[in-house]
Amino acid sequence: MVMGGKRVFVSGVGGELGTTIAGLLESETWVGELSGIDADPPRHRLHRTVFHRIHPDEHDRIVDTVARFNPHVLVHVGVWEPDARAAPSAAATLTDQAATSILGAAAECSALEHVVVRSGIEIYGRGRGALTRPSESAPIAPTSDWGRTVAAIEHTAARVGERVGVTVGAVRLAPLGRLLRQPGVPFSVLADPPFAVIEDRDAARAIVAAARVGLAEPVNVVAAGAITALQAARRGGRIPIPLVGPDWRVARALSFLLGAPIPDHVSEALHRGRLADNGRMRELLGVMPEHGTVDVIDRLYHWPSIIHQPARVQVA
Amino acid sequence: MTSTLGRVVNFPVRDTASRAGAAVSRAAADVGASVTRFTDEQTGLVDDWGRDPGLVRTMITASRLRWDVTVGGDQRLPRRKGALIVVNARAFALAPIYAALALSEVVDRPVRFVGRPDTAPVGAFVRRIGGLLDHPDEVAGALAAGQLVIMGAAHNERLRKVGRVDHALVGGALAAGVQVFPAATSSSPIGRAARLEIGPASKAPRRRRGPLSELELADQLARDIEMLLSELGNIRTGTPIDWLPIGGAGGA
Repeated sequence: MVMGGKRVFVSGVGGELGTTIAGLLESETWVGELSGIDADPPRHRLHRTVFHRIHPDEHDRIVDTVARFNPHVLVHVGVWEPDARAAPSAAATLTDQAATSILGAAAECSALEHVVVRSGIEIYGRGRGALTRPSESAPIAPTSDWGRTVAAIEHTAARVGERVGVTVGAVRLAPLGRLLRQPGVPFSVLADPPFAVIEDRDAARAIVAAARVGLAEPVNVVAAGAITALQAARRGGRIPIPLVGPDWRVARALSFLLGAPIPDHVSEALHRGRLADNGRMRELLGVMPEHGTVDVIDRLYHWPSIIHQPARVQVA
Repeated sequence: MTSTLGRVVNFPVRDTASRAGAAVSRAAADVGASVTRFTDEQTGLVDDWGRDPGLVRTMITASRLRWDVTVGGDQRLPRRKGALIVVNARAFALAPIYAALALSEVVDRPVRFVGRPDTAPVGAFVRRIGGLLDHPDEVAGALAAGQLVIMGAAHNERLRKVGRVDHALVGGALAAGVQVFPAATSSSPIGRAARLEIGPASKAPRRRRGPLSELELADQLARDIEMLLSELGNIRTGTPIDWLPIGGAGGA
């Protein structure tokens, strides 16, 4: 579907992913007006995007802002990953509030044609006997808080789509791994299972492509290849910490105290792995990730820790 | 919220254009798979299914202590596309494993096998050497991505008889649109000599629209493997047992 001069609304534009998506949308020719909403301001400078700073529990302001903009396309990435910007319980509440308010508000917009929601491959769960590389048609059986959260978002979006007769696409992203940056990386001695990740910009490109083509079904967005925690730790020169059984509880508590909590979906990935079949990505979105999983991990370790920028003018 | 909440998500039915797109995507995956050569695989990493090429090479070297496998009929396998190979199996013979390791070397492509448990540490180790879960969707996913997959028929204690071939797994191959090959394996519990003979692709006797096609193809595969087993000839154990008119050791 090719569109021209469409109004696009991005929820969650204050996050790294949301800001990157807005930046990419600004250079899309089919996008006319662009507006965004979040509790925090965008991470980068956006030129065309009109930003509204609104907290997810301010339903009336959200509904008013979205309804006044009357978008053709809604890109909903306003989700709070557990232990990223909020504690797990707060993250679940904020995500639910944002999904209900924004998708509900979009449903009231007469111009709405298409909704894209950010989801995750955690939606498939990693229970006993779960497929190694589930495709989009695999049963949905989340086994983590984050998995249940994204399942609820897809459910809400699909219901909105059915009720107002618009297409809904769900972009199921691989994790955007950050835990591996710690000086010591825990890994399961007994399993050390493989997982795949996705680079932020590749994820953003996929979501923009989903908005452009009018994706009307779920799609897995996963970088090619896989890696295990032990292999990643070795590549990054981190100290691999072998753990087995109850050691994990101690490690999680310790990591929490050190300011780097391990949410249950990350712990699950380290125990049971997290892969997904991205075979339909090119067919549905027309794009493929530019970076493989190993590339993404290598880039993760090449992030500078602190960049010291000297003042251009010394005033004191 | 129940764990099956997401099952109620309904997306519009795919149209003809998207089906055509799916076919193109599958073809692209096949071509991509052909690029992966067993000898070129990087060590120190795992592939998309968690298989560790370095460990597989070590296992191949170690397996030579136990098996000296002669592979035949590998020229019948597609060079680029995926294929399902069904072998006969005997208790404790590990036929799918030694067949996968031997075939990897011969065709210079990663070869996976069906039948890994999903419990650590055994399941994790078997995944590292190319094991897939015994699940039709798992097999279909690998085949659609252009992989060679070996699965074993059920054990049958009678020599030259093949146990039940899991029609659900064969259905996975039909869903992925790949060929299914029968293969006879032969090994001895007391000797190193082993053999893997791949036959021409099996075809269901009739075209069916429903699941009967996979049932009939599974039965045909069992018959084709039995035929291949009889073509392998009499059992050779290298002991005086061979002079007796019965076969009590080795064979299929």
